[in-house]
Formats: sequence, structure tokens, C-alpha cells
Amino acid sequence: MNTIKKITGLMAVCLCSLAIQAQSLSGRDIALKVKNRPDGDTRSSEMTMQLVNKNGSTRDRKIQSYSMDIGKDKKTIMFFLYPGDVKGTGFLTWDYDQVGKEDDKWLYLPAMKKTRRISGSSSKTDYFMGSDFTYDDMGSRNVDEDEHKLLKEEIVDGHKCWVLESTPKTQGELYSRKVAWIRQDCLIALKVEYYDKLNKLHRKLEMSNIEKVDGFWIAKKMHMTNVQTNHQTILTISNPKYNLKIDQSVFTVAKLEKGSL
Amino acid sequence: MKYFVGFLMLLFSTLSVWSQADSAGIAFKYNGFIDSYHALRSESSNDWMSSRTRLRSELSADKGNSSMFISFNAVYNSILEDKTGLFLREAFFRYNTEKWDLKAGRQIITWGVADGIRVTDLVSPMDYTEFLAQDYDDIRIPENGIRLKYLHPKFNLEGVLIPVAEFFQLPIDAENPWSVMSSVAMPYSLDMENKPERKLSNSEYGGRLSFFLSGIDASLSALHTWNKMPVINKSLSAHGDSLSMQAHYERMDMLGADMSVPIGKFVIRAEAAAYLGELQDLDMPSNLNTTVRKNTCNGLLGLDFYPGNDWTIMVQYSHKYILDYDEVISTKKNTGLATFNISKKLLQTTLTLSSFTYYDVTNNGFYNRTSADYAITDQIHIMGGYDWFHGDKGPFAMYKNNSEYFMKFKYSF
Repeated sequence: MNTIKKITGLMAVCLCSLAIQAQSLSGRDIALKVKNRPDGDTRSSEMTMQLVNKNGSTRDRKIQSYSMDIGKDKKTIMFFLYPGDVKGTGFLTWDYDQVGKEDDKWLYLPAMKKTRRISGSSSKTDYFMGSDFTYDDMGSRNVDEDEHKLLKEEIVDGHKCWVLESTPKTQGELYSRKVAWIRQDCLIALKVEYYDKLNKLHRKLEMSNIEKVDGFWIAKKMHMTNVQTNHQTILTISNPKYNLKIDQSVFTVAKLEKGSL
Repeated sequence: MKYFVGFLMLLFSTLSVWSQADSAGIAFKYNGFIDSYHALRSESSNDWMSSRTRLRSELSADKGNSSMFISFNAVYNSILEDKTGLFLREAFFRYNTEKWDLKAGRQIITWGVADGIRVTDLVSPMDYTEFLAQDYDDIRIPENGIRLKYLHPKFNLEGVLIPVAEFFQLPIDAENPWSVMSSVAMPYSLDMENKPERKLSNSEYGGRLSFFLSGIDASLSALHTWNKMPVINKSLSAHGDSLSMQAHYERMDMLGADMSVPIGKFVIRAEAAAYLGELQDLDMPSNLNTTVRKNTCNGLLGLDFYPGNDWTIMVQYSHKYILDYDEVISTKKNTGLATFNISKKLLQTTLTLSSFTYYDVTNNGFYNRTSADYAITDQIHIMGGYDWFHGDKGPFAMYKNNSEYFMKFKYSF
């Protein structure tokens, strides 16, 4: 009887401490956990984007992507594989975590045989290759560029989620706030809602096919819908690889101009 | 016809070895496009200025550190008969390691950061057969040469050797609506073949050191080259009733530098180059017309503005200054050329509206191309627009009656 009491007491203490821990997590803590979710030091994947307009007609985009973490910064190189008129185009970014430090970006245009330096800050709010994802969505954003607020916890599709609201600290972003339902077990958002300047729902992102690859969690399907235009983009990630043996020399203009690793 | 038979034989022989090569681990890729371009003069004669269809084929093979690339155009041109046929564009092989990148063969070499203006970008010359009324990337003429790069994470050191230099192609055929001879009112003879002898001492060579750093790109370049745009020497016959013209090419050296600096939503681009011994035409009153070599200073300043929402605005100004100037030089001591480019992507980037202008500051003339490009599908683009020429003096004056509507259809595969 005494033992049962002790176990019950211990369980109560554990539950209480867990509850306190959950309650003590701030919105920023959760955003930081999501950003720092383990995904290896290097990674590659092939991305297919299907663009669907309101009439149902589709266009496709295929990209081979490689990225590498260097401290808190990230370097990414992308080669466009399809369609034919952009095939061979390459995009290189050096993404800095430090707030206020502009990213470095280069675009290689094979028809012109030329690499162009492009603005590191402005294109973030442009849509990537005609999709419903912005360059900002495709890159990594410093946690402190937004104010984060934990709204509540909710069960979505049987998964316990944090509902996190993030509001940009500066003007000039495409959204006035976004709300993300983040799975607590794998730190991946199941859905994200983006609101425009008038606080109307603008875009809706749904993530699925969430699984572990090489020990790292990944959402292999991302479905972004612009609810105001009824345009959609379905981004599918295939053949993801982690901790590849590549070094920083991959993320250079020379490789960008070569068109492959 | 023989060109097309040759093309088909080449294609089939390539395809026949494809599967064998593939099994040897060589990855082959074949892509390209078909485009059809037609332009109609907007002035009263309303004649067709261009009407051409071409197949661009690009074939690449890749295995390990080595690769090769071939591109060629099969063209049917209804206006310019000598532009109908099969034309090799680029053909080179490449050997690439972590430190070295060797590219040998016929290739386009692009230097500098300017758009549509040449300051340090002097290696590959231009094809002005239809002046500027074609895509800028089509205007570049490949060079037959060797390019070796030493690759470092923070810089590239590049050496270029062109055994036999290529030169500008000018529209001299009187049947060509873009002919530079259209303004010559009297009988004339023209010799464009006065090109340098094909010997070692006439080879072209140079190098470029490029840095790609956080917040700045910069390059230094040097080239032992030629004035690839010929200086045409004119002389009247003894009776003054006919004109004799001869193209001249002379050695010159270029020492240059360029840089790109992104600042917020802007990118500042700059180029500067000294041309040592650039050939100049002399505007002599008698038939003793000759040429002279002068050092010139050339500079360019550009500003790109990316305001977001798929807008792009680009402005450039370039300036040439002739040192030790003689009043008889036919070009002014100071000349300026500006460009303005504005473009906007719409409808989920399926529609691109753009307007590009060359403005001849010295002579107050301009050429503007305003166009709309719509992607019907991933493969098919249709484009339409207007080329507008204006000017009483300078390079655009001779084309002031050549303003035209154009349309283009393109299928990429």
C-alpha cells in the first residue's frame, strides 16, 4: 500500500513537472525548438512543385536542392530541372541567421551564360517560380524576426499540437500574422494559416506524409493554397538525404555555373 | 537541304550510341526549343523585317568529372537566305575537379556585370545581322578557345586563350532591312575580309580574377585583344563618284574591373576599363581618310531595384572618354549610352511585361523594345511587342524607319 502511494506520488510529481514545463514554454521557445529541429548538417532532395490554378490546369517545376548548415547560417544551392525554359538555371543563397544581416544571393542564367548578383532582402516576399511559396517560405527565417505567442494546445489528426501565432516585427512582410499547428512529437507544423494586412486568411499550408528518414523527421508533401485566388501549389519532396559528404566548395558561384555538383 | 540531311544523320547517330553510352555510365541529356519569330515594319511599306523559324538542339553528356556540350541551330530564314542552314553554336568539353575547371572548344565567354553594354565583356563578339532586334543571348558569338579556371571558395582565377579571334558580324547585305549600307547613296565597294592573319602572334588571351564574397562581388580583368567591331575606312574614288570601304582591325589591350554590391532592395553594379590603343575612325575631308589608335577610358554604373511583388527596375549609364583627342576623330571625345529596363511578372509569373530602352545620350536617339511574354503551358510561350527606333544622329538614326511589331512563338523541350 505504501509502495502504491509512493508510485502515485511520484507520477503526480512527474505529471506536474511536465505540465509546468509545457506551461513554461514560451512562444519563442517553441519557435526555436522548431527551427533547431535536427535535420543533419547537410541535406539534399529533389522537389517537385505542381502549380494548380483555379480552373484546375497544372504546371510543374522540378528542382534539385542541396543545403548545408554553417553554425547558425545556411547555404543552399538549387538547380532547376524543369520546365525546359528554365532548365539549367541555378540559385545560390547564403542565408544568415543574424537579424539585419542581408542574405547573399546569386542567380545563374544559362541562356545569358551569366551569374547575376540579386538583392538579398527584397525577393523574400516574391513568390518562388510562380508557386504559392515565397522565397521566405523556402528559406530559413530568424526566430527573432517575429513575435511568437503560444495560443493554446490542440489535438489535430490525433497529434498533440502547439498552436503558435507569429507576428512580424517589421513592416514589409507578405503576412500580418501566421498561425501554426505544430506537432509536439516531431516539431513539424501540420498546418499554417497566413493572414494578410487586413487580417483576412490569405494562404493555407497543409503538411503531410510526415515520416522519419535517416533518423530525421520530414514532411514529404506540402500543400499551399492561396484561398483568395484559389491557386494552389503541391510541393513533393523525393529522395531526401541527410549528412551528405559535401563541403562548402559546393556552395559557390563556380558550382552554380557548372549546373550540377 | 544537305544541312538538314547532315543534321538528321548527326541526330540519329547520336541517338544510336545513346543507349550504349548510357550503359557505360554516361548521362546524356537532350533538350532545346523551337521558336518562330516574325516582325513587320510599322511604317507604310509594312514589309516583313524578319521571318525565321529555328530548332535549337542542346546535347550534353556527363560522367564523373568530365562532360561535353553541343548546341546548334537549324534555321529557316525567309528574309536572309544565307542565314538558312545548320549552324554550330557551342561545342566544348569540360574537365572539372575541386580546384580546376577546364573548358575547351567553341564557347560563349561572358565577363563583367553590365547588361547589354560591353565594357569589360570583350571576349565574345556580337552578331548584329538584325542589329539589336533579337534576343541578347542570340547576339553573342561563341569563340573557339580554351578557358581554364582555378577555383577557390572565395575567388576564381580564369585564363582564356583564343587562337583565332572572332569579330562582329555586321549587316552589309543590301537586301537585309538592317543593312548598315542602306544610307550609302553612291556606288560602293566594301572589303570586310581584312582580318588579322591566323598566326600565333595574333591570338587573343587574357585573364580574370573574380571574388564572390559576402556583400560584394568584384573582378579584375585583362585582355590582349582586337577592336572586334571593325572601323570602316572610307575613301572616295578619284572622280568622286564611288566609295571604297575597308574594314580595319587592330590590336588593343583592355584592363578592367567590375563589382556588384547589394544594399537592401538595390544592387549597385559598376565596371571600368581602359582600352589601350583602341582604333578610331578619322573623319578627314579628303580621300586620305585613315585611322588612329587612342587610349580610352570606359565606365559603367548600374542600379537594380527589386521593390518586391515581382517588379524589377534596372538603370545603367556608360561613358567613353577618348584620351589625347584629335578633332578629326569621327567619334566625339565624350560619348554616353544609358539603358532603362522595367519588368513585372503577373498571373503567377505566367505573364511578363517588360520594356527595355537603349538611350544614346550623345545623339539623343533611342531604341525601345516593349514586350509581353505569356506562358500558355510549361512548354509554350507566346511573345509580342514593338521595337521603336528614334534619332537623327548616332547608331539608331539609320534605323529610324525600322520600327516594327514582332511576335514570337516558342516551344521548349
